[in-house]
Amino acid sequence: MKRRELLKRGAAIAVAAPYVMTARSQETLIVNTQGGEYQELVEKVVIQPFEKKFGVKVIHDATGTASQDYAKIRAARGAPGFDVAGLLTPPEVMLGVKEGLLEKLTERELPNLKHLWDKTWQVIPGGSGAPHTLQYAALVYNKDKLDKPTSWADYWEPQKKYGDKVKGHIINYNPANLLSVYALIHAAQLGNGGVDNMDPAWARLKAQKPYVGVVVTGSAEAVPHFENGQVWISPYWSARSGYYIDRGLPFEMVIPQEGVIGLLDVACIPVGAKNKKLAYEFLNWRLDPAVQRAWALAYFSSPTRPGVELPAKFAASQIVSKEQIAKTQFPDSGTIGARRKDWTLKWQEIMA
Amino acid sequence: MALLLAFFVLPNALLLSTSFLKSEAQQLTGELTLENYTFLFGRPIYQWAFLRTFIVGAAVGLCTVLLGFPLAYFLVRTTSPWKGVLIAVCLAPLLASVVVRTYGWYIILNRFGVANDVLLSLGVISERIAFMPSTGAIIIGLTHALLPYTVLTIMGSLNGINPNLEQAAMSLGASRTRTFFHVVLPLSLPGIAGGFILAFSIAISAYATPAILGGPATQVMATAIYGFITQLLDWSIGAALAVVLIVSSFLLLFAAARLGAKQAAI
Repeated sequence: MKRRELLKRGAAIAVAAPYVMTARSQETLIVNTQGGEYQELVEKVVIQPFEKKFGVKVIHDATGTASQDYAKIRAARGAPGFDVAGLLTPPEVMLGVKEGLLEKLTERELPNLKHLWDKTWQVIPGGSGAPHTLQYAALVYNKDKLDKPTSWADYWEPQKKYGDKVKGHIINYNPANLLSVYALIHAAQLGNGGVDNMDPAWARLKAQKPYVGVVVTGSAEAVPHFENGQVWISPYWSARSGYYIDRGLPFEMVIPQEGVIGLLDVACIPVGAKNKKLAYEFLNWRLDPAVQRAWALAYFSSPTRPGVELPAKFAASQIVSKEQIAKTQFPDSGTIGARRKDWTLKWQEIMA
Repeated sequence: MALLLAFFVLPNALLLSTSFLKSEAQQLTGELTLENYTFLFGRPIYQWAFLRTFIVGAAVGLCTVLLGFPLAYFLVRTTSPWKGVLIAVCLAPLLASVVVRTYGWYIILNRFGVANDVLLSLGVISERIAFMPSTGAIIIGLTHALLPYTVLTIMGSLNGINPNLEQAAMSLGASRTRTFFHVVLPLSLPGIAGGFILAFSIAISAYATPAILGGPATQVMATAIYGFITQLLDWSIGAALAVVLIVSSFLLLFAAARLGAKQAAI
């Protein structure tokens, strides 16, 4: 009897041992993303389920924008104190690869990489990160104040469609924000220009200036102006637009006839990350079909891999098919990075 | 000494050396260059940012002194039993974050803000005016934020003046005005200069208020440095701007200190 009892207890301890170990020395992963509504969503939809599944603790550093986070990585020479840079955009990823500050990823560590859209690796270098969110720069407008815009020209030359009533109700963004860069590229394209010829964009910016009432840098800074009725029309990220409209903002989102420019949000691992093994798990988890679906529905964004089932009504405003991916523009991030300073300077000269 | 070396000399030496390195496509190269400085000094937008920074500093210094002196004088000379409460009320703005106070001005000054509403209803203006983003809005915001510092500095100086000196001047026939200009003002000059220098030096390096009330299109040096370092990731030009700000501030403060010493000697 005593021997049986001993064996039972021994077996129980042996079975429980790994969990006891985990509980005692619980692994910790530090993930950087951003604050505001994003923090609440990412914690609920991604971080907490990850902690539960892997039995680990995630410390969420919800500070900074993509460029600020990359500045931290650069200043700390690849060891910024977080294991995952969860929200970089392609220009920072390109720079990170060039400067050797981001860990090279392969399908061995992240098996889900092989399931992403093929076009992904035309936007960022292969294995530089895990693009987990796809969205685009849409046009949003206050439906109580304006008729539905149909073209990027309705934003850049608002007086032509809406007359003088829009004076003071147009918002413009500093090109330090990628949203501004994309809107300026559309302005250039309206005059047959593009990233290689931005002159038509500057002409449109000058023409728009008398109608601009609000100038900001960060996308989040624009939201109070949408809410208080000061801004009536704006380029805006599709994901956040969907999020705010769903919560009662009297705005509608439009895909202008000229099309839209897509944006990939990318999670990367700084070379000096302390817990790379768990960081790989986190990035792979971010690309898992179930997590992709949950995140897309919560953040009003598109999955970065084909085959994720979404409700038809929701999918109508998203980029979910091969044809839609092909139609979405993804300007060369290397060119944007190299020319952004000159564009910002030009923008400042006009807007000063 | 070691602390001074580690936390002041070394970071500034690093900043100085970075300002002479060439950047290509946002990346620092090892190549030495003066291009970062020629870039900054050759463009009107940055010349304006330098000028605007020092205009803001001087205007804020002057406004805080002009508004702060009467307040400090009253607080020092009053015999009211509420003196302590009045001083606390005067310093109360320091309890709120500068960002919160600045957003208060944002609500007042923006195109659809309280100031426009009042002026429109009084018939002073016929259409809305954009009071901000502007240099004037930055000066108003910083004056409000820094006034308590100047009041405290001037109060310190006024407290050191013996009230009997004023009474002596008046008993010898000097009017109140003459007593003020010939006795109180000269004796309180060190406090006034100290208050001015304090407000000036905080104002030229302020970031939050110029960023909110000036916006990205009305730059001062602090907002431009932030833009280059964290948004455009061009550290060479950001470092060059920081060096210009540090050196010019040092020179101005040194000149002010020399002037103060000369005044004290007289």
